[in-house]
Amino acid sequence: MSSILSQAARSIDLDPVRKFKEKGGTVIGYTCSFVPVEIFHAAGMLPIRLRGINTESLNIGDAYYGPFVCTFPKALLQQAGQGSFKFLDGAVISAGCDAMRRLDECWRKMSEDVPGALPPSWFYYLDVPHKPQGVALEWYQSRIRKLIQALEEKFGVHITDESLHLAISKQNKVRTALGELAELRCLEPAVVSGTEAFEALIARNVLPTDIYLEELDRLIEEVKSRAEPVSGYRKRLFITGSICDDLELVEQIEAAGAVVVGETVCYGLRNTSPLVSDTGDPVAALSAFYLSGSVCPRMFGYYPTRLVAISGRIKRTQAQGVIMQNIRFCDLHGSENGLLERDLEKLDVPTLRIEKEYGALTEKGRLRMRIDAFLEQLEKSRPPVQEAEG
Amino acid sequence: MRPALKEYPLDLLFARTFQVAQKLGRSTEKERAILLQSVPYVSGLLGPILSIGQPAITFLELMADYYGNLINAKKEGKKVVMTTFCFDPTIFYAFGNLVPVTLEVGTVITSILWKRGSFDFMDFCTEVGFSETGCSSQRGTMGAYLSGAGVEIDLVAVNMGGVCDTNSNAYSFAAQYLNKPFYGLDYPSELTPDEVTDYHHKDYRALIRFLEEHGQCRFDIDRLRELLEEKKIQDELTNELEEMQRLVPNPLPGIFHLLIYAARYTNSGSKKFTRMLREMVEVVRDNATNGRSGMGQTEKCRALLFYIDNFSFNVGMFDWLARHQVSHMGSMLSRFFPDNAPYRRDVSGTCFSIDTRSLDTMIDTLADINARMPMTRTIRGPYDAPNMWLEDSLSLAKIYKADCCVYNGTPGCRNTWSNVKLIARDLEKHGYPTHLVYADAFDGRVESWEATAMRMEEFFKIRGLL
Repeated sequence: MSSILSQAARSIDLDPVRKFKEKGGTVIGYTCSFVPVEIFHAAGMLPIRLRGINTESLNIGDAYYGPFVCTFPKALLQQAGQGSFKFLDGAVISAGCDAMRRLDECWRKMSEDVPGALPPSWFYYLDVPHKPQGVALEWYQSRIRKLIQALEEKFGVHITDESLHLAISKQNKVRTALGELAELRCLEPAVVSGTEAFEALIARNVLPTDIYLEELDRLIEEVKSRAEPVSGYRKRLFITGSICDDLELVEQIEAAGAVVVGETVCYGLRNTSPLVSDTGDPVAALSAFYLSGSVCPRMFGYYPTRLVAISGRIKRTQAQGVIMQNIRFCDLHGSENGLLERDLEKLDVPTLRIEKEYGALTEKGRLRMRIDAFLEQLEKSRPPVQEAEG
Repeated sequence: MRPALKEYPLDLLFARTFQVAQKLGRSTEKERAILLQSVPYVSGLLGPILSIGQPAITFLELMADYYGNLINAKKEGKKVVMTTFCFDPTIFYAFGNLVPVTLEVGTVITSILWKRGSFDFMDFCTEVGFSETGCSSQRGTMGAYLSGAGVEIDLVAVNMGGVCDTNSNAYSFAAQYLNKPFYGLDYPSELTPDEVTDYHHKDYRALIRFLEEHGQCRFDIDRLRELLEEKKIQDELTNELEEMQRLVPNPLPGIFHLLIYAARYTNSGSKKFTRMLREMVEVVRDNATNGRSGMGQTEKCRALLFYIDNFSFNVGMFDWLARHQVSHMGSMLSRFFPDNAPYRRDVSGTCFSIDTRSLDTMIDTLADINARMPMTRTIRGPYDAPNMWLEDSLSLAKIYKADCCVYNGTPGCRNTWSNVKLIARDLEKHGYPTHLVYADAFDGRVESWEATAMRMEEFFKIRGLL
């Protein structure tokens, strides 16, 4: 187990990020998987996906957001108000969902009451369309070009095609390595725990790429050389649903006797499509890659694409059941989980649908009881998992 | 869901109800009085509506036509398009073989007609996997169409991408559940830049291609021109009503807002809708000439509902406002932003104009109208950005001399509940006492109307408005 990956997955305040800053580096926070990180890397900056972990109170989040809103953006606002994101030079808020895009206003307004809560240099809103093709793709591409222009103007950097190609190439190495880790998780018996793998996946969002890639490669080599598989697990499970960087959820599932063999959640591995093209127009390539996967139910009308992708991964990982979680008031995943439940059960994939709060705010006792019951149910024999037709 | 509910088709129920109700236009006053005694359950609704005279009867005719078309659609070889209230239906009528069904309108009808509202249908949505926290305005009748208690849907076309996730999500869910083709117009967070207009126009053309492909016909250009010309007249009449609302006392009965926008969402471009507006103008002009309030009594205060109205049983909120002598100055649902409206904002690109010179200008017009429908225009971008929620609300409050602002919505509205506290604070800073209603406009189980009324009463008293 890599202590660097583990620490990165469990804390907001990270040593590698501090060191990056001490060397004069610029750190930019972002909030959604539809933001192409390559752009920041190409500018020599460090993009960090913002997290609300370890939030114990929502007194700040609740002061600006209304009561009928998911606890994830509230937790981010809480952390911002508490000063946990002081290391940021800038931030990009994007239209992930209604509550997330309103983080733009809530954060700005909160900073009028809490001086210094807003990143000092730059606070940017990125439009992301809700469909992957045609005019929407053109629009998204134009937004990415605007984002590049804004970065260049604000920070006096020059983002060239060459620097973008280099950044794409490096992120493709990360994607390839993560693909390898995902393949290792498919092995039966399992050779890597879900907790360990999920730590590695989360850490990707917050560590400088060179450090991350080194640690990830080391982890993969170490897993490959393991003499003993993961011992004593009862069933192989897969996780889908709302944004999740909640290691405790995975730990809880594994403590109940399962091994988590894959997930399609934000912070996890969602897009297993081919790599970003590192030739031609890099902005066009990035736009196509980030928008085309339709990996999130925010891309309305593309559920069939997601069903094929998710059921394919479930089959590949040899998962014997699926835990579909959504944060309360996350209507997008809440509803999609309903469709998935229907369609996965048709494919003889047993499912457990849970609604919970974000991260540390979850009531763990109730959750554990339901996971235990699901595992007991799974211990009845089931036919092999099928795959949805494409 | 109770099996009995599936036995009686919802659209047929609506059609028959309105077909019977429209005949009230031929009744005497005495007959109506006897009728109201005989239908105590809906007399609280029928009484106030019938008291406004001929426009109410025309409205009932409009709704009878609308649901009549729906139940006859299949027999006539037409296709039924599930759509949303903020999608201007003109394009469907221009196709000739498409019949729209607007979920939110059905939800409002059940909410105001039945004490139990559309709870059964809402719960059916949850039963089949839809999130129970999703917006009740769609869930209300979506359950009917998902369960087979409504007409069979052929395709789904909406326009809330980028504006309201819960809305888009509901229609996307319905399309997947029913396995029907889906098209969603998408909106950037800004309204006025040329590149945004271009995006609206291109996206709308893709929508037309979708409708042509799945509706299996091409729309009638002459029919479209005719509909748009009629819309011009409708906008002028609506503008006249809006202009008269600036008077003190406000001569427009509050319930007119509900009738106008419901008719517009369902019957935009129809000659009968124009007739209803003309009848309304007559009523309001008469009130204005005689210095009468639309409430029929002294106006004590003027309230702008800066989101939506409340559709509790027997239109409780409309009734409460009138009884307390508070003029209803309209809600976000009431305003469509044609470029000749009295509330137009003098910033290029914020309003639409109807241009029927060519096919292209007509399609652009439709795209521009859609981009300025309620919600689509006002709550797409940051609430404090130019031409968005705060500026629109302040502008409307000023133009209509509002004394206070009231937010009413649904807990399913992730969009506005994510920034309503911010806008409320700003409205207060600008001198408008602002009340947030925590009820659900379409679901009385969240907070009873009686509780909502009690809190309204407290707000108006404590803030010295009454």
